[in-house]
Amino acid sequence: MISKKKRTPQLAVIGGGPAGLGAALAASKAGLDDIVMIERDIELGGILPQCIHDGFGSKVFKEVLTGPQYAQRYIDEISRTNVEVLLNTMVLELAGNRTITAVNSAEGMITIEPKAVVLAMGCRERSRHQVFIPGYRPAGVITAGAAQRDINIEGLMPGRKIVILGSGDIGLIMARRFTLEGAQVEGVYEIMDHPGGLPRNIVQCCYDYDIPLLLSHTVTFIHGKKRVEGVTVAHVDADLKAVKDTERFIDCDTLVLSVGLIPENELSKHAGVTLDPVTAGPIVDERMETTVDGIFACGNVVNVFDLVDYVTRTSEVAGRGAAEFVLQGRKREAPVKVLPGRNVKYVVPQFVSDLGRDIDFYFRVEHPERAVTARVLAGTTPLKSKKHKMVHPPEMLTASATVADIAEAAKAEGRKVDSLMVEVVDSGK
Amino acid sequence: MAGSIEDVAPLPASAGVVIIGAGISGCSIAREVVKYTDDVVILDKETDVADETTKANNAEVHSGIGEKYGTLKQKLNVRGNRLYDEFVEGLGIELKRQGLLIVITPRTLPTSMTRWLPKRVVRYLLERIVPRLIMRNGKKKGIPGQHVLTRQEIFEREPHVTRNAIAGVFDPTYGLVSPYKLAMALAENAIQNGAKLFLETEVTDIKVAEGAVASVVTNRGEIRAPIVVNAAGVFADTVADMAGAGGFEIHPRKGASLLFDRDITADYVHSSVAEFRMFHKGHSKGGGAMPTAEGNLQLGPTAIETGDRYDTSISAEEIEEIFERFYYLLPDFPRSAIISAFSGIRAPTLDEDFIIEASDRTKGFVNVAGIQSPGLAAAPAIAEMVIGILQGLGVPTSRREDFDPVRPAPPRFTELTDEERDSLIEKDPDFGHIICRCETVTEAEVVNAIHGPIPAKNMDMVKRRTRVGMGRCQGGFCGFRCAQIIARERGIPMTEVTKDGAGSWVFADETKHMLAEGDAGEAGQ
Repeated sequence: MISKKKRTPQLAVIGGGPAGLGAALAASKAGLDDIVMIERDIELGGILPQCIHDGFGSKVFKEVLTGPQYAQRYIDEISRTNVEVLLNTMVLELAGNRTITAVNSAEGMITIEPKAVVLAMGCRERSRHQVFIPGYRPAGVITAGAAQRDINIEGLMPGRKIVILGSGDIGLIMARRFTLEGAQVEGVYEIMDHPGGLPRNIVQCCYDYDIPLLLSHTVTFIHGKKRVEGVTVAHVDADLKAVKDTERFIDCDTLVLSVGLIPENELSKHAGVTLDPVTAGPIVDERMETTVDGIFACGNVVNVFDLVDYVTRTSEVAGRGAAEFVLQGRKREAPVKVLPGRNVKYVVPQFVSDLGRDIDFYFRVEHPERAVTARVLAGTTPLKSKKHKMVHPPEMLTASATVADIAEAAKAEGRKVDSLMVEVVDSGK
Repeated sequence: MAGSIEDVAPLPASAGVVIIGAGISGCSIAREVVKYTDDVVILDKETDVADETTKANNAEVHSGIGEKYGTLKQKLNVRGNRLYDEFVEGLGIELKRQGLLIVITPRTLPTSMTRWLPKRVVRYLLERIVPRLIMRNGKKKGIPGQHVLTRQEIFEREPHVTRNAIAGVFDPTYGLVSPYKLAMALAENAIQNGAKLFLETEVTDIKVAEGAVASVVTNRGEIRAPIVVNAAGVFADTVADMAGAGGFEIHPRKGASLLFDRDITADYVHSSVAEFRMFHKGHSKGGGAMPTAEGNLQLGPTAIETGDRYDTSISAEEIEEIFERFYYLLPDFPRSAIISAFSGIRAPTLDEDFIIEASDRTKGFVNVAGIQSPGLAAAPAIAEMVIGILQGLGVPTSRREDFDPVRPAPPRFTELTDEERDSLIEKDPDFGHIICRCETVTEAEVVNAIHGPIPAKNMDMVKRRTRVGMGRCQGGFCGFRCAQIIARERGIPMTEVTKDGAGSWVFADETKHMLAEGDAGEAGQ
């Protein structure tokens, strides 16, 4: 019989990517000495090891690192703690009472009963049928992240003549990567009238390599019964419907999809964690605690961030929050809602359990806008504001509210702050 | 080097019975024949069994209510449904008889009929008369257990059904079974009992001598056989013509379906749900919303005439049509939970009935043609009918004493208890290594599929046997690992791994960096 060890750690962190690493490290620094981190892959770092381009760490480290470099800093630090890392281990189930069932080859079935849990499972890529691309089902339709793994980790080319659908960051980065590997990138097609990726990636990955980026375009048919033989692309109208007579055939052997990321919350759902329909991630409070006591969440499982730096920051908040929960216990007070206001799609955290501490907000706008001011309202009182020359939906914006700000607003209104709102308004007003 | 053809045995010079086509019909017949003789050869041009129409079938074991009274397919459907439990016994295949809820709505009667009638009368017809018509129709066809449901009873059973529902009929004998898994299990059990299966073996001619079949010519050689069964699906007319036993035409009709994320739709409907529409055009029985054997929700199928027997594409219009149809029946359907869309080609004849008969022109040649829906439901009865015909042509009539009906099904991690999992992992640590996280499939299951009785040679074959890549990420994470295991187990380079056979390559070549390393290595030698 395999010796089946039941673990009862203070904290279990599910996922060993940047979010899990940050949370485990922060919890360890905050005083927890019995932490288990569970990772299904053969190594830590999540998606970072395959992100060999640079641009990581500008906010956290104030320097520009590659993905593997960024990950390694945390992996090295984790190795100096006594965090137990279970690699090649798959979590099968998380119960609402925080009991984890996992499996690996070395130990078989594993039960973990931690005092607190941090969800750090990250996200997955949306696939072909989720964006309704008609046609055949040949080999050669691949998501951008999978293509990135093939090339950067495995040294294999998924194709030679490429069409990319979706101008999310990974799609743009892969346009460049395929080109550098000698493949022909026929173009990047984006259904929206604005790009899905960061402006710097559009310039550095498309324009610098003369790769056409076509907005308001989509793929309307995949040709080829065995292997992709081409795609039909078309212009789309204001309702995002393909305009028939603009259809044209593009010869290619591979269609790369960069059509969005979805937080991976199957475990969260089974544990009874309430999800936000807009972010597709758990609703969290200012400590990144979900609606289930003692279950925290951070990084891309909460909502898809544009920068790994924000993943790290939220993971540190979650790690510290979990440590506090374990060491001091915590009663949550009546929650104060955080609402998205004008031109704000969503805000994380979605609620605040404790107004007695500084809060960082992460939010995205609904549509691009020039010369705007982003601000937090406590009740109806505006707190600090920040001017932006230009805002785009792909870009994550941040705002904060300090204890002092909130107390002052309460004083001005002559009552307790019972709601918070983040809004983006015209700078002229 | 392992190849696709080199690693299987050469064709035998002769066989007692040759079955052309390893779809659900061919496999059902093979398993029936092998109960009496092991001298059976099954041929299929594809890389896998169930690789064409069967794999895209909607899994419905119909009761027979939808078929025209008195047709062969209606009789075989009702009979097949009754035989099903016995048919799957020992195969390790689950038949879920979760029933069909036929919903009567204001759309049930065409407006061309109702617009002349007072509203009260229409209501009365829909609420009182139509259910009785359905019941009477079922009774005539010999379908047991049907009963009428009131509007309220419909909502208690299926809360997501449209509030426009007026009445319903529940058909409890209707069930679901995985068509390709069943075909595979039947084929495996046939092989286990002595049948020989040859894949990627395309019939190019059938030789006839003195009015009787003499041999079957394939791309891999010729087999002499006194009895040939034509279960060639969409190509049944072509094959029949080769033997001079034709005279019918298959006109391919496409059916497309959509598949949804199990986690989101698991409790969405409990039985299959279909809207009843009288005099509605189209040759599909209307399709329905159904939970598959694995618990994913499936919507479809469509019915579109297509001139192309290979047209397994799905168009934007078809997707829209399915959504439009089911939005009426299930208005709150979570459209975003879609994970896959697929289509297959039905193989009807112009008469729209099954043709199951020994040819009167070419002795020893048996057509099993025009098998479209309810072909899956009728499969046990088709096999029963065909064995009768074959025995008339000389197949032994006494059952083999050494026939073993039990097919050892490989263990599925998800279906085991924790104790069973632990003891498996102890014996084979690969059972503790999850390859596909959406469907919780272990490396050991993939390895078993690759070395199974019908070895999985490509990614789609592994997928059909293990569900790797069938989940919500559609292979985004597990695709590479699966390819890697295939390459390792089959001893081939990654660039030779295919999705589903020749031409469906997955990797073009190695990256520049790797190629450069390779060159340097060679130069150094």
